[in-house]
Amino acid sequence: MSHLRSLASVTAIGAIALIAASCEANRQALAPTIGAPRFHFFVFACQPLKMTGGGRIDFPPGTADKNPPASHEYETFGAHVMSSGQTDANGVCLADKGALEWIDHRPEMRLNGSPLNLHATEIDFAELAVDTDCSDGAVHWGGKLRVQNNGQENLDFEVWDCDNGEPGVGHDGFAIRVNEPIDGIGDYAVMCPDPALPPAEPSCTLTGGNRQFHPTH
Amino acid sequence: MKIESIRAAVRFAGLVLPFMWTSGSLAAQMRASAQASSYGVSVTTATVNQKSPSAVLPAGEMMATDQANAVTVDGLVSAQDAFAIVNGDLTDGSGAVSSATLGAVNILNGLITADGVVAMASSTVGSADAEGSSLSNLVVNGVSLSDPAPNTRVDLPGTGYVVLNEQIPTSGGITVNMIHVVLQQPVLDLLGGVTGYQTVGNIIVGSASSSM
Repeated sequence: MSHLRSLASVTAIGAIALIAASCEANRQALAPTIGAPRFHFFVFACQPLKMTGGGRIDFPPGTADKNPPASHEYETFGAHVMSSGQTDANGVCLADKGALEWIDHRPEMRLNGSPLNLHATEIDFAELAVDTDCSDGAVHWGGKLRVQNNGQENLDFEVWDCDNGEPGVGHDGFAIRVNEPIDGIGDYAVMCPDPALPPAEPSCTLTGGNRQFHPTH
Repeated sequence: MKIESIRAAVRFAGLVLPFMWTSGSLAAQMRASAQASSYGVSVTTATVNQKSPSAVLPAGEMMATDQANAVTVDGLVSAQDAFAIVNGDLTDGSGAVSSATLGAVNILNGLITADGVVAMASSTVGSADAEGSSLSNLVVNGVSLSDPAPNTRVDLPGTGYVVLNEQIPTSGGITVNMIHVVLQQPVLDLLGGVTGYQTVGNIIVGSASSSM
């Protein structure tokens, strides 16, 4: 009987050791290496979603700190998108509706005497990003826009939109790229591709406002 | 057996219905108080009542915008590059963000100037803030003021006073007025002595409100 007890004890200790060893190995495997870049917004799912809100970004550099107000180095926006999770024949995750109003207040971005003002005319796609650090939800979406300053139409754009909890300032993120040159400005993007910047590159950290993710609508 | 079934149904209704009523009431209350609006310039006096540009989030919509290249109210205020944007979802009470931005601003013939104004109000259920609001190159009565704290009051002799970065908590939200000039006139007694002041108008530049 005592032999059996000893055998059971040894077995139990061995099992605990094995579990502990396997847990330790797993934790190390999952933990990111300090300083190593982590990339986001590459893996997507098509499902019902909604993102709303607006905000302010101080780009460059796009961190959680505001630039000195006198610099006028900031952008403000309102934007939302909705999708019911339907795909088209090409597998594109379709957006049901959405809107974007974007204003870049930087002096070097003034066009025809006014701050650069981008206005979405259609929202075509919206897909849930499932590989980000955005705790509440992240969406990659886009469509076509008009440059209000000069009337240039049908420019493709995309945004990277991140709700990383409350409050939005210092946590949430947003980035935009216009995929064709803007007359009078050229290539235009407000993106923060530094993996060290929260919450998830290429989104820039909000210095005001809030992004609000809704899993369904 | 039948009576037992009826009793069970009554017990079930008694347990469940109050919760249904409560959640419905809360949602209704949320919708009743939820709002989001913003504007660039507002002037209210005995002879002037003007607000422009102005955006108010309509029921059932998620965005409203307005814009004006220039706003001028003779002798009182002029402003360039004014935008008003509101975005959110008031129906589910999840949150809203309002903003008003302006370029160069001149109030009362140079008494107050600035060359960049941002008013931003964000609210979600249980929290609201004015983060993102700012004033660039603000000069009041010849004195430069950098990054004024919330609700900074500066007297304007002969005119009234101005409240800078005015932040007013509201039911479930916040209103931020970046420059709020209160126009006042002295109240005189029969001998011409000043017994007090009365407000005769308001000028607000850069206002954003949101609540859930």
